Amino acid sequence: MTPDIVETVNVAREIAWLPWAVQYFFLIGLSYGAWLVSLPGLVFRRPGWEGISRLALLAALVCGLTAPVALLADLHQPGRFWHFYAYFTPTSWMSWGAFFIPVYLTGLILYAWLAFRPALARHADEGGKLAGLARVLAYGGHESRKALMAAALLTFVGAALVALYTGVEVMLVRARPLWHTPLLPVQFFVTALAGGLGLALVFNRALPGGGDPAATRRMAVALALTQLVALLVGVVWLVLGMSGMSPVHAQALAEVAPSANWKVSAVWAVVATVVTLALAVRRPGSGLLIGLLALHSAWMMRWTIFIGGQEVPKTGAGYYSYQLPLGPEGLMGIVGTAGLWIFLFVVLTTLLPLDRIGRAERVGA
Amino acid sequence: MKDEEPREVSASRRAFLRGIPVLTAAAAALPAPALAADGKHHWAMLVDVRKCIGCQACTVACIQENAVPEGSFRTIVSTYSVKLTDADQPAGTYMLPRLCNHCEEPPCIPVCPVGATFKREDGIVAVDGDRCVGCAYCVQACPYDARFINHATNKADKCTFCAHRVDAGLLPACVETCVGGARIFGDLNDPQGELRRRLDAAKAEVKVLKPEQGTEPRVFYIGLDERFQGKVEGQGTLWQPRKAHG
Repeated sequence: MTPDIVETVNVAREIAWLPWAVQYFFLIGLSYGAWLVSLPGLVFRRPGWEGISRLALLAALVCGLTAPVALLADLHQPGRFWHFYAYFTPTSWMSWGAFFIPVYLTGLILYAWLAFRPALARHADEGGKLAGLARVLAYGGHESRKALMAAALLTFVGAALVALYTGVEVMLVRARPLWHTPLLPVQFFVTALAGGLGLALVFNRALPGGGDPAATRRMAVALALTQLVALLVGVVWLVLGMSGMSPVHAQALAEVAPSANWKVSAVWAVVATVVTLALAVRRPGSGLLIGLLALHSAWMMRWTIFIGGQEVPKTGAGYYSYQLPLGPEGLMGIVGTAGLWIFLFVVLTTLLPLDRIGRAERVGA
Repeated sequence: MKDEEPREVSASRRAFLRGIPVLTAAAAALPAPALAADGKHHWAMLVDVRKCIGCQACTVACIQENAVPEGSFRTIVSTYSVKLTDADQPAGTYMLPRLCNHCEEPPCIPVCPVGATFKREDGIVAVDGDRCVGCAYCVQACPYDARFINHATNKADKCTFCAHRVDAGLLPACVETCVGGARIFGDLNDPQGELRRRLDAAKAEVKVLKPEQGTEPRVFYIGLDERFQGKVEGQGTLWQPRKAHG
C-alpha cells in the first residue's frame, strides 16, 4: 500500500549511546545480579550455596570492574570524566550514578576481599601461582564475619542504588516512549538477576567434573523463577499497551508495532525466555545451556532497548537503520569490553583458581 | 479629465521617488533584528510554513555559519511528499523547517550530569563546550531530535539561534538567508517587534511541535499541519547523510 506521506528529505540522527553503553548496562547488571547470588552462601550461609555463591561473587567482581570502563568509553569526552565530580547536578540521575558506582564498587571489592581472604591464604600456603601476591593480598588470611557483613551492607546499598539509577535514568527519557515506561527498571532488574545466575552457572560448569549437580539444580530453579517473572512482566507490559489502560505503554507499543524488525525481536525474546524456562524446569541439569541462554537474553534485551530504541526517529517518519560499525564506535566496543573482561577473569583466576573458589567449603569455617 | 490624469500619475511617481531615500535610509538605520527598545530580551522564532519553499538555503547557511560537520545538521527543512485527494495532481510537497525549539521547559537541561547545558537569560538554550562530557543524555532527552554529538568536537551540539550573531545585533544565519521570508526572529518581549505582532495577529493559527510534551517551545509555526506536529506517520526517507567519520 502506498503511504499517504513519504519523507523525501530529512536527517537520520546517528545513535548517540553506542554499543559501549549496551556493554555497560549489561555488565553492571550482571554484576549486581551475580552479587545477589553471592548472598545465600556467603552472608546467609544457606547449606549447599557456598560454592556457587563464591563463583557468583567472582562473576560480580569481573563484571563490576569491567563495566565502568565501558561506561567511560561511551563518553565522547572520556578525559573529562572528572567533571561528573566537579559539577554535581542533582537534577540528573546520571550525575547521581557517578557517585553510586564508586559506592557499589568499593563495597564489592571490600566484600570480595573479605570473602576470598582465607582462600587466598590457602592458595599461597599451597604454593599456587602468584603465591607471593596472594599472600600479600590475603593479609593474614583471617576471616572477619562482622567486617564481611558490614561490607555486604555497603555493597547492598551500592547495588540497590546502581540498579535503581540504571533503570530510572533510562525510564525518565520521555522523548523515547519505548524507554519511558515504569516497567523498564523492573525488566532491567529481572534480566540482570537472570544473567547473574547464568554466569554463575557457566562458571560452575567450568569446574572440574562439571560442578556440583545439586548446586546446578538449585540455580536452575532460581533461573526458572526469573524467567517466569520476566514473562509475567512482559505480559503485563503488552496488556497495558494493547488495552490502552496505560497511555505510556500504549505509546511505546504503537511506536514499535509497525516494524517487522521489532516483531522478530519480540518473538525472539519470548522464545528465548520460554526455552530457558522450559529447560530449567524439565532439565535442571543443563546448567551451561540455560546459563548461556540467560546471558544471551540479558544482552539482547539491552541491545534491543538501547540500539533499537535509538532507531526510532522522534519526529521523522519510519525508522533509522543502524549498521554496526567495525571500529571503536561499534564492534570494537563489544570486542574490547569482552577482551578486558577475559583479561580480568584470567588475572583473578590465576590468583585464585576457579576450582578453589567453587569448592563447596564454608568460608573461614 | 485629460489634464488631470498625467498629474495623478506624476504625483504618484513623485511620491514613489520621494519615498525611496526614506525607505533606504530607514533600512540602513534599523538594527538588523527587531530589537526591543529596552528591558530583557526573550528570543524566539516564528516559522511561517506557508512561505517555506524548501530550498534548504537555511540549512546551508547554518552549516556555513556554524561550521557544522558533514552529515550533521543544526537545522534542516524536512520535506514530505503528501498524497492529495482534493486536487488533480496526485501529491503535493510539504516543507517543515526544524531546529532546536529553545524550550521554556527544556528536557535537555535537567538530565545533563555536569550542568553543561543551560538556558540563557534571553531564552537561548546553550551548551557550555568546555564543560560538556559528551555523554549524549541531552541528545536522548530532546523530543525534537534537535541535538547530536558533533564528531569534530565530540560534544553535544545544536542550534544556538546563532547566539554569537544575535549578541552582535545580527539575525541568525537561517533567518538572514531565508528566501521566502518564512523565518521570523525576534524578541517576545518587544510588543512593537515584528515577531510579537505576527504572533498576536495569527494567534489562533500559531502552533508548536509536540505540545503534549509540555516543553513550551519558543519556535512557533504558522500553517503547521497536525499530521506533522509530532512523529510523522509515513514512509521514512531513504537518504541518509554521509558519515563524516568511521
